This record gives sequence, structure tokens and C-alpha cells, in this order.
Amino acid sequence: MLTGSVVMAKDPLADAGLHFDDLNKLRVLEPEVAQKTTELKEECKEFVDRIGQFQKIVGGLIELVDELAKEAETEKMKAIGARNLLKSVAKQRESQQQQLQALIAEKKMQLERYRIEYEALSKVEAEQNEFIDQFILQK
Amino acid sequence: MCVLFNNGTHKELVSCVGWTTADELYSCSEDHQVFKWNLLTNETTLAVKLHDDIFPIDLHWFPKTVGGKKQALAETFVLTSTDGKFHLASKMGRIEKSVEAHRGAVLAGRWNYDGTALITAGEDGQLKIWSKSGMLRSTLAQQASPVYSVAWGPDCDRILYTSGKQLVVKPLQPSGRVLQWKAHDGVILKVDWSSVNDLILSGGEDCKYKVWDSYGRLLYTSSSHDYPVTSVAWAPDGELFAVGSFNTLRLCDKTGWSYALEKPNTGSVFSLAWSADGTQLAGACGNGQVIFAHVVEQRWEWKSFEVTLTKRRTMQVRNVVNDAVDVLEFRDRVIKASLSHGHLVVTTSLQCYVYSAKNWNTPLIFDLKEGSVSLILQAERHFLLVDGSGLYVYSYEGRLVSTPKFPGMRTDIMNTQTVSLSNDTVAIRDKTDEKVIFLFEALTGKALGDGKPLTHKMEVTEIALDQCGTGSDRKIALIDKNRDLYLTSVRRFGREQKINKIGTMVHTMAWNDSANILCGIQDVQFTVWYYPNAVFVDRDLLPKTMFMKDASEFSRAPHILNYVGTQVTVRRADGSLVCSSVVPYPTLLHEYAGSARWDDALRLCRFAKDQTLWACLAAMAMANRELTTAEVAYATIGEVDKVQYINSIKDLPSKESSLAHMLLFSGHVQEAESTLLQAGLVYQAIQVHINLYNWDRALELAVKHKTHVDTVLAHRQKFLQDFSKKETNKRFLQYSEGVEVDWEKIQAKIEMELANERERAATASVRSSVAPRR
Repeated sequence: MLTGSVVMAKDPLADAGLHFDDLNKLRVLEPEVAQKTTELKEECKEFVDRIGQFQKIVGGLIELVDELAKEAETEKMKAIGARNLLKSVAKQRESQQQQLQALIAEKKMQLERYRIEYEALSKVEAEQNEFIDQFILQK
Repeated sequence: MCVLFNNGTHKELVSCVGWTTADELYSCSEDHQVFKWNLLTNETTLAVKLHDDIFPIDLHWFPKTVGGKKQALAETFVLTSTDGKFHLASKMGRIEKSVEAHRGAVLAGRWNYDGTALITAGEDGQLKIWSKSGMLRSTLAQQASPVYSVAWGPDCDRILYTSGKQLVVKPLQPSGRVLQWKAHDGVILKVDWSSVNDLILSGGEDCKYKVWDSYGRLLYTSSSHDYPVTSVAWAPDGELFAVGSFNTLRLCDKTGWSYALEKPNTGSVFSLAWSADGTQLAGACGNGQVIFAHVVEQRWEWKSFEVTLTKRRTMQVRNVVNDAVDVLEFRDRVIKASLSHGHLVVTTSLQCYVYSAKNWNTPLIFDLKEGSVSLILQAERHFLLVDGSGLYVYSYEGRLVSTPKFPGMRTDIMNTQTVSLSNDTVAIRDKTDEKVIFLFEALTGKALGDGKPLTHKMEVTEIALDQCGTGSDRKIALIDKNRDLYLTSVRRFGREQKINKIGTMVHTMAWNDSANILCGIQDVQFTVWYYPNAVFVDRDLLPKTMFMKDASEFSRAPHILNYVGTQVTVRRADGSLVCSSVVPYPTLLHEYAGSARWDDALRLCRFAKDQTLWACLAAMAMANRELTTAEVAYATIGEVDKVQYINSIKDLPSKESSLAHMLLFSGHVQEAESTLLQAGLVYQAIQVHINLYNWDRALELAVKHKTHVDTVLAHRQKFLQDFSKKETNKRFLQYSEGVEVDWEKIQAKIEMELANERERAATASVRSSVAPRR
């Protein structure tokens, strides 16, 4: 009878949406549902974690790619600069050559002047030697 | 030349530079700033910050000398700008005045030499003259194209400016003749006109620079450069000039050839300026730099010594005979130096150093009143310094001997061609009247003789005093505008000045340092006048005393630098030095004649067997009244008539008449006559004129002294008969009326005169032989 009364009493509780779990604590949800809910919660958490992780990884990747892009850009600029420099070196050399040519021409003129001076001096020397010889012979 | 750089203080191209003192420079740039550069402290300070729309183009300092008086410092400058204005600014950087001058940019602004006028040239093709305070005086010229550059003539009476490819010289007087010629194949960008040597310099877009004389004759044209010539500037002493172009700086001799080339990395050099002492050069560069250059590696040679300016304050002396090297250090920058007559004279900005070639260790040093010595001339006993305010003769012991001066003297334009120094005389050609030569006693600084200067009939371009012998025989050689060479004596002794022509087409000349031998280049002949004095003794003999040689080895337009010992050094137009030797005999002969060793002189001539030398001896002997030697010499060169005349002189009874005949021999008729008249030998004087067919003077003398009128008439009659002519001379007709000609009587009279003379000479010689005994 007592048992009967308990069973009897059980049903109204369930009808009222109250349940007892295994630990005989009063629950609003059915223990089964509650468990499932907890499981879902756990799974969701895990999912969120994973998504977060994924985002982090992707973020890293993007950063890396950006960096690479930047580096590629600078390298590209460098290459263009080098190419331009190469082109202008030819011109630079040309102007340098021109300058050196002018300096050489100047030195050549100086050399020519020295040559003329040397020739004149040699002539004077020859004349003087001749004069000395003559002088000695006549004496 | 060594170039120093200064990093760009300016942010834009530098358009112009100008010196105030030897160590302070102002530069203006398109970044609207004017900077002051102090070279002693290496400081650069901002002098003027211009308004943002003023782009300066040209800068010129007000001249330091005003009306012969020296100002302490240049205080103001003119700055021209692109907005058509010029600005007068003070040294402190304050713009005193801005004047609206041209439409378009003002491309150039120049003060004249005495600071009384400013000329501006504009993009609108106008040239305007302004007063010192910036009031418009006149518009000198107007043309369709911009005037890029303008320069004042040496006397500030003419203006040189550019007109496209042409150069124009325009006198300030409206009546003056304008000279205009095509100078370049491209637009002319810069011109300069030296006040010292009167030469014009131009540079243009045809990448050439050219040198002209003031008549527009082309003296030098450079080869084509790689870039247009953007600036040219004469050094203050007129010996050098600088040329600027893109990445190029060139230093050239006044004859055009180039001493040095520098290729600084500066962009175009837009403006060049020399410091007043001529040792430093500044350039305004296209890349915002201001460059400074110093002239080094100058060389002086004398006999076996070679002196080189190695650094600004260091000289190296090398004796090429034993390779001994001395290094001379100076406290300040070396400005001028001269090596000659065994002494080296060096002036720095404060002191003068005198070294003897025998001892390079202990120079004699004295302070200079004013640092900027522009010319040093040396003679055997003393030397001459020229600075901005005067001429000073110093002895080699450093004593100030004299300071010759004359009114209106301008020392800033004196050069070796217009001043000459010998042991006893200083000669200076005047600038205002180029025909006039002032002569001074070197030891006192007083004008020679009666103080009247020597005046030639033509403008004189070059003068030179001989270096040897006594002061009373001092001769001056001068070349005039027609390139004729004249010789005259410096001291006159009352007699009429005679200027004798001894050469034509002479372009350059020099006296020897040890004997009075003159060398020169006459047209295409190198000529040595072994004894130029021959022209005063026996004119006809002069050509025989000259030595000539083809001058083709000196090429076109050579210049004789010096004639030391037996060596002539010539600078060719291309800049090379050419030496040529002259036989040493004439020098020896001069020495013998100078010390009256006639036997030695004869022996030398016999040894050398040279007709020229014999001719020299003949002239020297006649000049010294050494008849025996002269007779021998004349005989050797085959001048029989002269030998005979000398013999007849020897036979003359009295000293006076032989002296007179010697004077006659040299063609000095007047002197001969006055000598005879002074001695009372009237008949002899008359006879001299009769012999010369100088009838009028003979008759005049006869009538004046009331003697020998009949003698004159008789000779005249005989002369007319011989040539079967009739008497037409009125005076002779008049006198012949009352006089009867009797040859016998005349002969007797002549005999008597001669006997008288003989008698007098005898007593005179007795008296003179008695006199010393007393």
C-alpha cells in the first residue's frame, strides 16, 4: 500500500514536471534530457574551442602571407632599382669616360709642351757642345 | 690649381658669388638666401634671407677704391633678381633699396671701377646706367634679345655686352663709334674685360671660350668643350683667367692656352670670382655647392734655380746643378713672387720675404703696408713692389729706397709691359695718355731731368730699360702701337730728344741682364741687337750689328720671357717654353768696351771672325772716341769711306774740331756746329755746312759772324757751275751783288784760319800739359 502510494505519489510529481534523479535530488528536467543537454553543452564548448583554434591558425597564415607579400614587394622594387641603376651605369661610365678623356687631352697637351721644351733644350745643349768643341779646337 | 669643395649649404643652385676680402665670400642662391663664407674660420653664416619671390641672379660688390682713395672694406653690394628689380644691400644683410629696373629678369649688374655708376642688363634687351644711389641716368642700348652679360671697359668709358651671338662694345659718349662683331656660333653667355691687359673674354653655348683684343680681333679660340661655357673671369693681375662649364673648371693663361683642368662634380659653374689678391677662385655651382680653388704649382726659374709653389704657404727651391732642395715655409698665403738677379722676392698677405740665392735659410722679412702686391719687378740692386696705393723701390736689404709717383697714377692696372726698372731709373707708361712715359730716379723717386715726361708720337704698348752700364747712358726701348721698336736715351742733358727707330713689326722684346744687348722677335725673324747704341753712333752700321735667325721654331705670336746670360726663353702661343742660345761673344765684347780694354776686344773679334762682332766693335769704339780701334774695325767690315773719314779726323789740328767731326760722323750736325762755334772756330763751322751743301745755314753763319761770306759764295758758285744751274736763292742773289769772288784770296784766308787753329791747339795742349803740374 505504501509502495502503492509512492507510485501513486510519483506520477503527480512527474505531471508537475518534477523529477528525482539518481541522487534523489529534485529536478525540473527529466534526467535523460538533462544528461543529453549536458553532453550537448560539452560538445558545443569543444566546437567553439576548435573554431577558435582554427581562427588563430588562419590568422597566423594570413599574417605570414602578408609579410611575404610585403617582402616580395620590396624585392620587386629593389629589382627595378637595380635594373635602372644598371641602365644608368652605362651613362655614368660614359660621362666618366668623357671626363677622363678631357683630363687625358689636357695632360697630352702638357706633355706636348714639355716635349717641345725638351727639344729646344736639347738643341741648346748641342749648340753649346759644338761651341765648346770649336773653342777647344781653335785654342 | 687645387680645388676644395664645400658641401651644399644652399638648397638650390647657386647663381653668383662675390669676394669682399681675400678670405670672405658672399654667395646668392635660388633658395632666396645669401650666405657669407669665412675661409679663415670655415664658418658659413646666413647674411640675407630674401623674400620668397626674389630669385637672385647676379651679385657685385661696390668697388673698394673710389677716386684713388682706398676704402677700408667693400660695404654694399648690388643684387639683381628675376622680378625685374635690383637691390642695394649692405654687408650686414639689410636691403637698403630695391629699384624697379627692367621688364623680365635683370640678368647682370656691374659697378664701374670707381663706383660712380652701375649698369644693369635685362631680359628685355635694355642696358641701363644708374647712379650710385640707384637713380636712373640713361638707357644706353636697347635690342630685341636679352643681354646675358655686361662688362665695363678699362677706363669705364665703354661697355661690352652680348647680343645673341654677337659682342658689342659701346662707348658711353653718344658720338662714339659702336663696335659690333659676331663672336660665337652660339648664344654668348658670359663676357669679361680685363682692365690690366685690355683683353676681352667671352664664352658661349657653342662650348668655346675666346680671347679678343679691345678692337675685336680674335687672339685665341678654344677647342669645343662638351658643354656650354657658362662663366669666364679674369684674374685681377690679368695674367690668368678661369673658365667654368658643366663639371668643369679650367685655368688659362692670358694668351688662351690652358694651365690646368679640373673636373669637379658640381654641375654647371654659373659664376666665377677671383679674390682681390688673385690667389683664390670661387665658383657658384648648379648643384648648390660653392667651390673654392687655389692657384698652386706656379714655377719660377733663374739660372740653375727652380722654385715651385707646392702648397699655398710652401715653396720648394731646387738647384738643378747639385739637386739640392730647400723648402721655404711662410706664415701666410703666398701672393706674388719673383726670381731674378740672384734674389727671390716673395710677398704674402702681410709681409715681404727676400731670399738670396746663396742662402735659402735666412730670409730678410719686412712688413707690408698693404698686403695686395700686384707686381714685383727686379733689377740688380733693388726691386720694385706695386700695390693698390703706390710704387715702392726697396733695396735687397729691405730698405725703402723711394716711392716714385705722378698725378693721376693708377697702380691697379700696371703690368710688366708698362713699368720698367733698372739700377738707376724707373719708367712708367701713363694710362690716360699712352704716348707718355714718366721717368724717375730710382734712388730718390724724383722725376728725371727737368721733370718733363718722355712723349712719343704714337701710343706706346711696351717699355723696357736696359740693365747695365752707367745711369747717364741709360736707354729705354719702346714698342708703339704700330709695332715699331724705338730706342732713346733716358737722360737728356739739354739736347733735343732723339727717338730712333731700330726695328719694325716687333711683337716682343727683352734686354739682357748682363750686357746691353736687346733681343726681340721682328715679324718672322728672331733678332738680337748686339749693340743697339750703334744707332746713336753710326746709323748705317746698325743693321750690321744685328743677328737674325728664323723664328719659325717659336711658331705664331711668341712672347720673350727673359734673356739671362746667353739664353733667351720664349713662351710660345701654345704655352710651351722654348729656349734659344745666343753666342757669348757680344757679352764679352761689351765687357771689354766697358772697361776700355780695346786690345782684348780686337783679339776677341779676330778670334771669333764674325762680321757682326766687328761692326759692334766699330760702333763701340766710335762711341768711346777710340779712333784707332774703330779704324781697324771699320777696315775689317769693308767700310772704306769711314776708315778714310776717321783718318781725316785723326789729322785734324785741334781737339774741338776732331770732336765736332766725330759728332758729324754720327750725324749730329747741330751739336758739331755748336761745338765748333763754342771753340770760336767759325770758319770750320761754315765749312762743315758747305761740305754738307747746307748753303743757307753756311751763309747765315758767315753773315752773322761777318766773315767768309765770300768763301760761301765762291763755293756756291762753283757748285752751281758744276751742275750748270742758275742761282735762284734770293739771299744768295742779294749778297753776291756786293761781293767779288777771288779764289786766291779765299784760299789764303782758309790757310790762315787753319794755321790759327793749329797754333791755338798747340798752346792749348801746352797749357793742358802744364795744368796738372800745378
